[in-house]
Amino acid sequence: MVAILTTASTLACVGIFLLLYVNLRAAAGWLQEDVKIMVYLDDRVSRESAASIEEQLRSDRALASLVFISKEQALGEFKAQFPSESRLLEGLGQNPLPASFVVTLSPQFRGPDAVKHWAERVRTIAGVAQVNYNQDWINALATIIRSIELIAIGVGIVLSAAAVTIIRNTIRLTLYARRDELAILRLIGATTSFIRVPYLLEGAALGALGSAVSLIMLKVVYEVFRQQVRAMGRLAGLEQMVTFFSPQICLALIVVGMGLGCAGSFVSLRRFGEAKV
Amino acid sequence: MIQLIHVSKFYDRRAALADVTLDIEKGEFVLLMGPSGSGKSTLLRLLIGAEQPDDGHVFVHGKNLTKLKSSEIPYLRRKVGTVFQDFRLLPKKSVFDNVALPLLVQGASGADIRRKVTEALRAVGVDHKRDQLPIGLSTGEQQRVCVARAIVNGPVVLLADEPTGNLDPELTSEIMELFKLINARGTTVVVATHDPLVMEQVNRRVVKLAQGMLVPEQRVWA
Repeated sequence: MVAILTTASTLACVGIFLLLYVNLRAAAGWLQEDVKIMVYLDDRVSRESAASIEEQLRSDRALASLVFISKEQALGEFKAQFPSESRLLEGLGQNPLPASFVVTLSPQFRGPDAVKHWAERVRTIAGVAQVNYNQDWINALATIIRSIELIAIGVGIVLSAAAVTIIRNTIRLTLYARRDELAILRLIGATTSFIRVPYLLEGAALGALGSAVSLIMLKVVYEVFRQQVRAMGRLAGLEQMVTFFSPQICLALIVVGMGLGCAGSFVSLRRFGEAKV
Repeated sequence: MIQLIHVSKFYDRRAALADVTLDIEKGEFVLLMGPSGSGKSTLLRLLIGAEQPDDGHVFVHGKNLTKLKSSEIPYLRRKVGTVFQDFRLLPKKSVFDNVALPLLVQGASGADIRRKVTEALRAVGVDHKRDQLPIGLSTGEQQRVCVARAIVNGPVVLLADEPTGNLDPELTSEIMELFKLINARGTTVVVATHDPLVMEQVNRRVVKLAQGMLVPEQRVWA
C-alpha cells in the first residue's frame, strides 16, 4: 500500500506537469487558430476572377478555412466597428475598402516559415493585391510553443527518471526483504526468468496502480481548481477552457506507469536481484 | 562424478584453494574435513557454480563448470542437492511448501509434487510435520526438512556444508545416518565438516583441506 501511494505521488507530480503542458499547448493552439491571414484583392478584379482565386485557394492543402468579404461587407463592418469614423469614407464618394479573403491555415502550416512561404506564393496570384498577417505575433507564438515543448521534454525526462528511481527503490526494498528467498531459489535451480518475472509483474502492477491512483488524485485537484475558479467569478470562462486528460491519454498514462514500474523492477533486479547463494 | 583439476581460487590475493586436484566417483560418500577457513565451503561453492575458479577446471556430472554459461547453471543445480548449516528454509512457508520448492521451479505437476514431497518427507521422517512452519520445528527437524528439500527431485550429488554444525551429537548421528541412506540409494554425497565426531561416525573416505591445500588422503572403508 505504501509502495502504491509513493508511486502514485511521484506519478502525480509527472501528471500535474503533463496537465499543465496539455493545457498550455492547447492555449497556444487556440492562439494559433486566431492567427488570420488577409488576402486583399485588386479593385479591378471581376466577380468571376475573384471566384477563380477563391477556387485556387480552396484547392491548397495548407488552407483550413476561408471566408470571402466583399467590398460592401468590408464597408459595412467598418461602419459597424467605427461608427464615428464612417463619415470620412462617405466623403470619399466611393468605397475605398478592397474585397478580401480571411484565411486560416491548417495546424501544420502555422509555423513562421510556412506562413511566410504561403503568403509569398499567394502574392504572385494575378488579382491579389496584398497579403497581410502579423509576422511578429506568429514568431512569438512559435517561440512560446517551442519553449513549452522543450521545457516539457526536459521536465518530463527529469520527473520520469525520478519516478523510475522511486519505483526502483521501492522494489529494491522488497527484494532486500526477500533476499534470503531469492538466494534459496537460485540455490535450488530457479532460472533467472523464474525469479524475475514475478518481480517484473509486481513492478508493472505497482506502476499501473500508482498511475491510476495518481490520476484519481489529479482529477480531484482539477475539480477543486475548477470550482474555486468558478466561485471567484472574475475568471469566468477559464474553467471551461481548462481540460483534463482524455480517456485515451489516461489509458496511455496507466500504460506508461506500467512501463516505468517494469523498468524500475528490471533495474533493481539487475543490480540487486542476482542474490548470491 | 566430481573432478577438480589444478583448481585455485583467490580472495584478495589470498588463496582459498591452491592447486587442488580431486576425483570423486559416482556413488561415493566423501567427508571434506578441515578447520574453518581451510577452503571447504569455497570448494562446495565451486561445485554448484556459485563461484568460478581463478585457475583449473571443475567437472560435475560431466559438465565443465568453468565453461558453463550462467543460463545453464540453474539446470546443473537441479541435479545437485545442497544442505546448509543454517538450513535456509523459507520461514513463512510450510514444511510441505519448502520441500516442494525445487519441484515448483522445474514446473512439476501438482500430483507429481504431492507424491515426491510426501516420499521425501517420509524418507527423512518428518511427514507428520508437513503443515507446520519451520519455526515450530526443532533444529534437528529443520535440518531433516532441509535434507528432504535437497533430495526431493532425485539429485545425482548431495552436497552438505557443515550440516551438523547446529546439532547435538545425537542429532548429528541421526543426520549422518540419513546421509548414509541417501548414499546407499546411489547418490554421491559430499559432506564438509570440521567435526571429528562425524568422521568417526561415518567411517568413509576423508579428504582433508588445510589452508586451501589438499592434505594427502587416507581412505577408510566401512
